[in-house]
Amino acid sequence: MLTLKDVHAGYGGGDVLQGLDLSVVPESVTCVLGPNGAGKSTVLRVVSGLLKPRQGTVSLAGERIDRLTAPQVLSKGIAQVPQTGALFPRMSVRENVLMGGYLIRRQRKLLEERYSAVADLVPLIAERPGAPAGNLSGGQRRMVEIGRSLMLDPSVILLDEPSLGLDPRSISAVAALINGMRERGKTVLLVEQNVRLGLSLSTHGVVMEGGRVRLHGTAEEITDHPEIASLYLGALEPNG
Amino acid sequence: MTQALQTIALGLLIGGVYALMAAGLTLVFGIMNIVNVAQGAFLVLIAMLTWKAWQLTGLDPILLALATTPLMFGLGWLLYRLVVVRVRGTTPAMSMLLTFGIALTIEGLLNLTAGNYFRSATPSYFAQSFHIGSIVLPKAQVYGCLAALLVLGLLYLVLNRTWTGRAIRATAQNPSGAALVGISASSVAALSFAIGTATAGTGGSILSVLYPFFPASHYEWIARLLGIIVLGGMGSLRGAWVGAIILGLAETITATYGSPRWATLVFYAVILLVLLVRPHGLFGTRLREDVAT
Repeated sequence: MLTLKDVHAGYGGGDVLQGLDLSVVPESVTCVLGPNGAGKSTVLRVVSGLLKPRQGTVSLAGERIDRLTAPQVLSKGIAQVPQTGALFPRMSVRENVLMGGYLIRRQRKLLEERYSAVADLVPLIAERPGAPAGNLSGGQRRMVEIGRSLMLDPSVILLDEPSLGLDPRSISAVAALINGMRERGKTVLLVEQNVRLGLSLSTHGVVMEGGRVRLHGTAEEITDHPEIASLYLGALEPNG
Repeated sequence: MTQALQTIALGLLIGGVYALMAAGLTLVFGIMNIVNVAQGAFLVLIAMLTWKAWQLTGLDPILLALATTPLMFGLGWLLYRLVVVRVRGTTPAMSMLLTFGIALTIEGLLNLTAGNYFRSATPSYFAQSFHIGSIVLPKAQVYGCLAALLVLGLLYLVLNRTWTGRAIRATAQNPSGAALVGISASSVAALSFAIGTATAGTGGSILSVLYPFFPASHYEWIARLLGIIVLGGMGSLRGAWVGAIILGLAETITATYGSPRWATLVFYAVILLVLLVRPHGLFGTRLREDVAT
């Protein structure tokens, strides 16, 4: 179980997260929703160790991880795919994916096994291993980023707006990957602006507002909740 | 014809040595956004140490690079951990101020301990040459260039065939992406700075034979090296290669067909022209963000 308790965190100009409490059910896909500025991406950054909380705790299976560095969090089995480009543009697709296994680089056999497994999951990696990552389209980059995050066989995967800027075909490919993760028992914490898509991929939903959790439940409960419509509208208003 | 070939051969030999000296500078800038203006002072420091060791022991000055290169690797690592780390993440201007301070300290210490006059190591082959047909290649320049190419080859292998090199390249291309896969930014930075200064180890030993030097020679060297990497594109190793070869050729061609005193001017004129057409140098990228997203 991934648990955040009373988390306060921000970027120097006040706290974005203001006493956030959140429990992510193991082997679930949890979608974090909310208007712009609610702190959705900040939750992922706090979990992955890229942002240290000012107050509160983050724990995985009862063990505190909020004081660990990002590489240490990664070695605990939590991988993050951020919103913007995470690839190395002048490295090939294969090199990029292999870099995902940086922490197991000395276990060559395991590294190759993982690479084959990831290439099976993401056909692009098998088809164009030598292509420079900088030449890929947005959708292709996303697939490689997700593939790379699976190299350490993480138990928890943090996905920040995986559908952002993608065409419908790429979105269905990303959706298929997320469904595949759920089937293989991974815990996925997903931030998504596309509410309909996000909830359709998820088992659970969390609605955030003002740096706190406003609603938490199964995906069906969140979808059917009477307040959701108004919150969605709030998210769609300019500067909302 | 012979004169032209002779000039080009000498230009390439000199260019190879310049390439090594500039590689360390551009590597450190590419990965850390740090302009290490102490690189020239590191070269002169090592040239002085090499000269002293050659005087005392008679050992070959270029072979002494086997000792000076690891020495500079260690010194670079220490300097990074103790001093340079403090300007990490600030502007390149801050790094220039800091490394300029390091350069002045080295110059001052050399003035105090070694005195302010020209030196040059002159091993037995100093005045000898290889003759290939009608082309004459001074042995010292050939050995110097070979040593430089060897170290550049090793650097290439480390950067492209080892995990350490991949981590360095990954950090240079996308620091936040590198953090996401578990690469420690501080370790990579210390290592890169150490590798950058280690190239000054080999470079300095070669310099002690090929060029007369004195403590304040570092101004002339850092100007040359900065010129090379600006021409090639700041942060680009390939650019440092091409910039170094152009400088080597510009110097020898101008010296042969004009006068040595015009050599530096011609090189800077080339830089000016290239920057007019390509403001980011021959192989420079506009902004790291452009390629990272």
